[in-house]
Amino acid sequence: MPKAERGEKSLLPKGFKQLEPWVAEWVLADSRARLEKRITTPADRIRAFYDAMLAQAPPALAYLATRQLGALDAAEERLLKLLLSLAEMGPAVEWYGKGETLDGFDARRFRLVAQMPDNQTQRIPA
Amino acid sequence: MNAKQKIAAQSLTGRHPELGTGPVSTDIYCDPQFYERELTGIFRRTWLCVGRVEQAPKVGDFFQKDLPTFGFAVIIARAKDQKLRAFFNVCHHRGNHVELRQSGHCVAFTCPFHGWTYGLDGKLVGVPDASGFFALDKSQLGLRQLALDVWEGFIFVNIDPAPSQTLAAAMGEQGRDLAGYAFDGGTAVFEYEGTIECNWKCMIDSFCETYHVPILHKHSVKETLAGPDNPYGRLIDCRLKGPHRTMSVWGNMAYTPNPVQGLAWQYSPGPAVTSGVRDERAVLPKGLNETRAPNWSLDVAVFFPNWLIVMGSGMYFTHQMWPLSANKVVWQMRGFLRPASNAAQRFGQENAMVELRDAVLEDCNTLERIQVSLDQGLITEMLYHDHEIGLRHQYHVVKQWVEDFERSFNPDHSAQEAP
Repeated sequence: MPKAERGEKSLLPKGFKQLEPWVAEWVLADSRARLEKRITTPADRIRAFYDAMLAQAPPALAYLATRQLGALDAAEERLLKLLLSLAEMGPAVEWYGKGETLDGFDARRFRLVAQMPDNQTQRIPA
Repeated sequence: MNAKQKIAAQSLTGRHPELGTGPVSTDIYCDPQFYERELTGIFRRTWLCVGRVEQAPKVGDFFQKDLPTFGFAVIIARAKDQKLRAFFNVCHHRGNHVELRQSGHCVAFTCPFHGWTYGLDGKLVGVPDASGFFALDKSQLGLRQLALDVWEGFIFVNIDPAPSQTLAAAMGEQGRDLAGYAFDGGTAVFEYEGTIECNWKCMIDSFCETYHVPILHKHSVKETLAGPDNPYGRLIDCRLKGPHRTMSVWGNMAYTPNPVQGLAWQYSPGPAVTSGVRDERAVLPKGLNETRAPNWSLDVAVFFPNWLIVMGSGMYFTHQMWPLSANKVVWQMRGFLRPASNAAQRFGQENAMVELRDAVLEDCNTLERIQVSLDQGLITEMLYHDHEIGLRHQYHVVKQWVEDFERSFNPDHSAQEAP
C-alpha cells in the first residue's frame, strides 16, 4: 500500500476493511478503464475479485443507498468504484467464465464515446 | 398451457399477404450500385435522428452530430428565439468549419480561419475587413440550414432542402402510437459506437428477430428473452406501420437472476428491460406492448430507415446505423437510463450498460461472417421464418422507396432489378 494512502484514516468506509486488498488493482478511473481491465485480466483473477466482492456487495450497496453521488468522501468513492468494477465483471463470470464475450468479437472495436460519470450527481437542478 | 400454444408459429406473416412467404433476394445487402441508389432514394430524403432536445436546453447551447454516411457533421443550436436550428458546419467564405467543439455554449460561431462570425440563428453578422470584398451581401451568406423538426424530444434533420414529408407525417402511425412515453426521463446517458463490416440493414436485422436469441445469445439473454414457455424465442407480436415496424418481445417472468445481475436489478433506478419487472407507474403508450401481453419484456420500434428504439417500462436504448458502403456501417447505441437517486443505483446503471454492450458484441462476428457470404455471392436468397417478418418487411420497404423515388422523376423508369 502506498505511503500516501496509509496516511489516510482508512481506504474504505467502516465495515469494509476486508475489501482493502482489492483497492489498488480494482478501483479504476471510469467505464473505459473497467472494460480494459476485464479484457486484459485472466479469468481466474476476475473470478477471485468477483467472489470477494460479491460477499460484501449486499451490505456495500445498502450503505451506498444512503449516500448521494457527488457527495461521497474518498473512502466511499473507492467503495463505489469497487462495485462498478463488479458490475463490469458480473457478466464475465456469470455469462462467459472469462473476460471476452461469446464468439470473441473484439470489445475494443466498440468505442464508449459518452459515459456516465462514476460519482457526479444525476439529479436535475430544479 | 405452454407458449408453443400461446404463440403460434405462423401467425405474423400471414396478416401481410403483400409480403409473400417465399425466399427473398439478398441483392439489397451487397450490391454497391444498389447502395448508391439507397443513398439517393432514401438517405438523402428521409428524416434522420441527430439527438435530443436535452442536449441544447438553453439559448446559446449547441452540439455537433457527425453523419458518417455523408462524411460531415451538422451543428444543432438554440437561438435567442428559443428555436432549434440545424446548420452545415461550413463557413461561406472558404469552407472551413465554423465550430470545432463537439458541444458547448456560445453567443456566435466564429470561423477560426479568418474570423467570419455567424449568429446562433445562422445569420452572417461579422466579416473582418469587409470593405475589401466585392459586392458582399451578408444577408445571403448565412450558414446553410437543414430542415429540422422534433418528435417526442428527438431532433431530426433532413438533407433534402425541400423534404417531401413533414417529420410528423414521416413518423406516421408508429410515431403517434409511441408518443407520451417518458423519453425525457432517461437523463443518464451513455453511447457506444463501432464500425462493423456489414450492410447497414444486416445490423438492423439483428434487432428485428429473436429467433436467434436462444442460440446465439445462449449464455446471456437467452434465459430472459426465451425460456421453457417460449423455447424458440418467438415474438409476442410484430406490427407493421407503413415503413416502420414494432416487435414486442417476450420475457421470462420466472427467470431467477444471476447474483450480480440480481443486485443490479435491485439497485436500478428503473426496471432493467430483461428483468421481467414492470414499472407499474410508467405510462405505456398504446403502441408499446400493444397487445398488453403479460409476459412482455420490451418492444423494438424500428423507424425507417436507420433508427430504432428498444423500449422497456423503465429504460430505453436507441440504435442508429450509418452506412459507409454496401458492406460497412457505423453503429451508434445510446442508452437512456433514469437518474440515480442514490449512489448504489450507479451500480445498477453500470451493469445495465455492460449487459447491453455484451449482448451486442455477441452479434457482431456473425454479422461480419454473413457479409462475407453475401459479398462472395455464396448466398443469394434468404429464407425467413414467420417471426423474421421484420426482415421481409424491410426488404420490401427499401426496394419500394428506391424504386418509387426513381419513378417519381422518370415515370418510364421501371425497376432495374426486379426481384
